[in-house]
Amino acid sequence: MEMFANLALGFQEAFAYQNLLYCFIGVFLGTFIGVLPGIGPLATISMLLPLTFHVPPTAALVMLAGIYYGAQYGGSTASILMNLPGTPAAAVVCLDGYPMAKKGRAGVALFMTTIASFVGSTIGIIVLTAFSPALAGVALAFGPADYFSMMLLGLVAAAALAQGSPAKGIAMVLVGLALGVVGTDVQTGAQRFTFGIPQLADGFNLVALAMGLFGVSEVITSIQRMRTVNKQKQEKITLRSMVPNKDDVRQSWPAMLRGSGVGSFFGTLPGAGTTIAAFIAYAVEKRIARKPERFGHGAVEGISAPEAASNASAQTAFIPTLTLGIPGDAVMALMLGAMIIQGIQPGPSLVTEHPQLFWGLIASFWIGNVLLVILNIPLIGMWVRMLRIPYSILYPSILLFICIGVFSVNNSAFDVLLVMGFGVFGYAMTLLKFEPAPLVLGFILGPLMEEHLRRAMLLSRGDAMIFLQRPISAGFLTVTTLLLAWSLFSAIRMQRKARRELAAAE
Amino acid sequence: MADIIGGVALIGGGAWFVLHSTGYNMGTLRRMGPGYFPVIIGSLVCLFGILVMVPAMFRQGTLPVPDWRPFVAICLSVLVFALVVERLGLVPATVCLTFVAALAERVKPLQVVLLAAGLCVIGVVVFSKGLGIPIPAFRWNFF
Repeated sequence: MEMFANLALGFQEAFAYQNLLYCFIGVFLGTFIGVLPGIGPLATISMLLPLTFHVPPTAALVMLAGIYYGAQYGGSTASILMNLPGTPAAAVVCLDGYPMAKKGRAGVALFMTTIASFVGSTIGIIVLTAFSPALAGVALAFGPADYFSMMLLGLVAAAALAQGSPAKGIAMVLVGLALGVVGTDVQTGAQRFTFGIPQLADGFNLVALAMGLFGVSEVITSIQRMRTVNKQKQEKITLRSMVPNKDDVRQSWPAMLRGSGVGSFFGTLPGAGTTIAAFIAYAVEKRIARKPERFGHGAVEGISAPEAASNASAQTAFIPTLTLGIPGDAVMALMLGAMIIQGIQPGPSLVTEHPQLFWGLIASFWIGNVLLVILNIPLIGMWVRMLRIPYSILYPSILLFICIGVFSVNNSAFDVLLVMGFGVFGYAMTLLKFEPAPLVLGFILGPLMEEHLRRAMLLSRGDAMIFLQRPISAGFLTVTTLLLAWSLFSAIRMQRKARRELAAAE
Repeated sequence: MADIIGGVALIGGGAWFVLHSTGYNMGTLRRMGPGYFPVIIGSLVCLFGILVMVPAMFRQGTLPVPDWRPFVAICLSVLVFALVVERLGLVPATVCLTFVAALAERVKPLQVVLLAAGLCVIGVVVFSKGLGIPIPAFRWNFF
């Protein structure tokens, strides 16, 4: 019953005129940038971060969160209509969404992704509401060794579940950890890898790193892809064309529920993120489908499951962020930054110390999602028209917003130079098929991990067995080992299969 | 092929990282110095570089080819913005960025001019005035 009292408190807070307004601004902007390929929530949130100095903490966080989950709704629009994902997580929706559009079922696809988004988000919020206070209670008992092992699990999960080979994923996590070392050592004050450059004393700017790796290299590859996108006239999306038939509904709703389950679970893991959740949900659907060959040719489960999963994980990603103070991805790291700017320390005591903020934020998720359904179904024509803007106008604008966004974080042109550097690096990674997401995660968690590792070793007087003696830590390490073993096993199996196919071809 | 290049880059980068880290105080297991963690990380980067590279040597592959024109134009446009914004202000930086970025594709010159003008207005109205980001529209500061 306490939960309902808390939620009532939250709704009271969220329905305050100011918070409602910021919630609307957030989800509107989120949909906007989600629909447009090449600009994501990260650039938008970093641009709006300075604005949050002037508004109360709840309103600021409500708006920033709205951008994040709003973008998940918008992301699938471009995937379906143009075969070009608006957000990384929406790349999966291309696989079956674009074939649906080619068959003239774009309206149905857009409708189903919105409904799937809503179902996924709703389930994600229920999980968030039910589990975060409990988790916060447990987390109070966490010691440094437990935090270290948990982050290790998050990193290994992100690497092992990422696209491509797990060895490359882990290598990227490690490169991220290495980049995280740059800057002043917190415990001794020693300058590491700064080469006398004063701007590096605080380490690389996260926004510059992420914008270079994702933003700039994404723009370069999009220009390349835009040349090949067919410029044929898109069909008009009318409300009538959005009505799904009986088969669509029958096939979709179990897929949505499964997708929401997958998404809720992976969102909670620090590090897995929306993209991984969406890809895994798609794989699950394909595995259990009675006719897997339908996938890739416009199967409706192929869009509703990953869409539900990415939205569910966007909501449950707030669980580790709010209750443990551990961000699951770059956007969550910025949200943590926004809280710290406002003088609020995220962590296990957040729920008890700032109940109005915590429950107000959760209540605003419900409101925001209802607003998003209204924005996305009757107003879909507006978003579709936006996609007609030629990319030659769009990409310089995106670059400008990236530059201003990065510049505004510290008022530093040096950070904009870093964006270019990381842009080159990111494009090289794209060419060599290395994933940037695990790298960014390693970069975010690296300094936290080092700190907890050193603290744990200090407490145990240099005895590394502490990681196995503490039950929580040992539990995390066991799961990590199992995950590593599993990914090693499946990598070997994949290689064998590839070799067999090669032999058969010869 | 791609994995061999990637693996070699990882091994090289990791080795350099370890060498540089050994210049910092290692400390002991109980009281780790600033060099301890980076040395472990650098060694692991090397290890995984080998793990990425070795399997790739036994399979055939093609060398990835970058798309030079957009790559160079986009990177230069960001570079130009960084160099101009603190010296001349937001409006000249926006104009420079737009024109350099437009080189990535064949775009009509008139369209670029209009776009640059539009972006300047948006930049000043939304960011300088609206969001209060402290970048002056024009300035004269070469130092």
